[in-house]
Amino acid sequence: MNAPYFPGPHDHVPEHLIVDFDFFHIPEGVSDPTEIWHGLVKHGAPPIFYTPRNGGHWVFLRYPDIVEAYRNHEQFSTYQSPVPPMAQYPVLQPNGVDPPQHDVFRKILAPLFTPLAVRRMTDGLQHRAERLISGFADKGRCDFIKEYASQFPTSTFLELFGLAEDRLPEFLRISDTFFRSTDTDVRAANMVEIYEVLEGLFREKERNPGKDIASTVVQARDAEGNAYPWIDILNCGFLLFVAGLDTVTNTMAYVWRYLATSRDARQKFRDRLDDPAAFMVAIEELMRINAVSSIYRRVTHDVTFKGVQFRQNDRVVLPNTVANRDGAVFKDPQTIDLDRPVNNHVTFGVGPHRCIGSHLAKREIMISLQEWLRQIPDFELDPAEQPSIFGGPVMGFETLKLRW
Amino acid sequence: MKVVANLSLCQGHARCEDICPEVFSTDAIEGKVVIEQPEFPAELEDKVRLAVRNCPEGALRIAKAVAA
Repeated sequence: MNAPYFPGPHDHVPEHLIVDFDFFHIPEGVSDPTEIWHGLVKHGAPPIFYTPRNGGHWVFLRYPDIVEAYRNHEQFSTYQSPVPPMAQYPVLQPNGVDPPQHDVFRKILAPLFTPLAVRRMTDGLQHRAERLISGFADKGRCDFIKEYASQFPTSTFLELFGLAEDRLPEFLRISDTFFRSTDTDVRAANMVEIYEVLEGLFREKERNPGKDIASTVVQARDAEGNAYPWIDILNCGFLLFVAGLDTVTNTMAYVWRYLATSRDARQKFRDRLDDPAAFMVAIEELMRINAVSSIYRRVTHDVTFKGVQFRQNDRVVLPNTVANRDGAVFKDPQTIDLDRPVNNHVTFGVGPHRCIGSHLAKREIMISLQEWLRQIPDFELDPAEQPSIFGGPVMGFETLKLRW
Repeated sequence: MKVVANLSLCQGHARCEDICPEVFSTDAIEGKVVIEQPEFPAELEDKVRLAVRNCPEGALRIAKAVAA
């Protein structure tokens, strides 16, 4: 346990701040992984507590503390912050480094993900959503994860990276292993495979650049006209791979699962099909209530924060779903109000590391839902099938069977 | 009335643009807020206030137009 950046023992943590909590573990009888987090609040866990599980880490439960941790990168760093701690975790670009280093790759990527850039992707997204949904609309049932929610963001990734569509099965396979496998050897082989794929991709784009994101990243030059280190380019590709697939898949799963159980919500969304602004307000509320990610930070130096003593390299987990239902910030936080006027949710984080793909993610979800409701206006959960769920840094569903 | 942005706080969530595109847009390079109409007309006041309150970074505020 003495690798650099690994947390030390927790003898600085007072007994009353220790809670035995494993956010990878979903107990029997729980049907929604976010419940394990909300259960902590319900059962009176301290707003800042420590669990010895998963290598030992803190959890923040209050919106203002979570927001402060996001903003204060000098105290709460993303650099070498994984939970459980890993000795050789790649330094993702730009997410794995803090400002000012962070600005280098952030600036390369920023123009590719602005609202304007994402609006230009609308036709492609629309076309893919239409085609995917019409492939099973007549069947009257589907496994939403397998047939839509994993396919759509993965094929969007292929297009953005200028990769041929016939590589979809390969990318679905490697991303499924990456996000779902718990076997150490399988995971290690999977990482090697991902980096081989990225290596091949960026080498190809270096030779034959196109107008895609991979070409932009590989052709980027610093102020002196030099290329960036190759490992940083690969790690930037890896970030885009890990950040935009599972998150979108599982947010969609939550949204569709909710709509499948609420006739009233389906009606409200159908009523807004011709009013994109009102449709987006409702999506924003579903983003608040269905925050699938919990984010890691590493304490950079010994510090007392909110009266609690932290040691250098302590890990902190920030559950967005908890922040988003803080009653001190959100009126009736458990109520899903599709017209909620003020909605400062942190589903995409805040501060310098805010999710760069937020506009793309929301557009993927909005276009998918619009197209779905046009082709499949009513649907429900298949009562014969129990969804299979998982916890961890991105929570969600392995299967979600719908019928109509 | 005038709306002003603190660009060092803005992180490009673009919630303001979603809520009141008449006044707010985002630039094409960094994705940060651009205030198209700092001295917005009175009929947009409610929408501008809503946009200000929805900024996750607290980067927007309303000032009196006379203030420099």
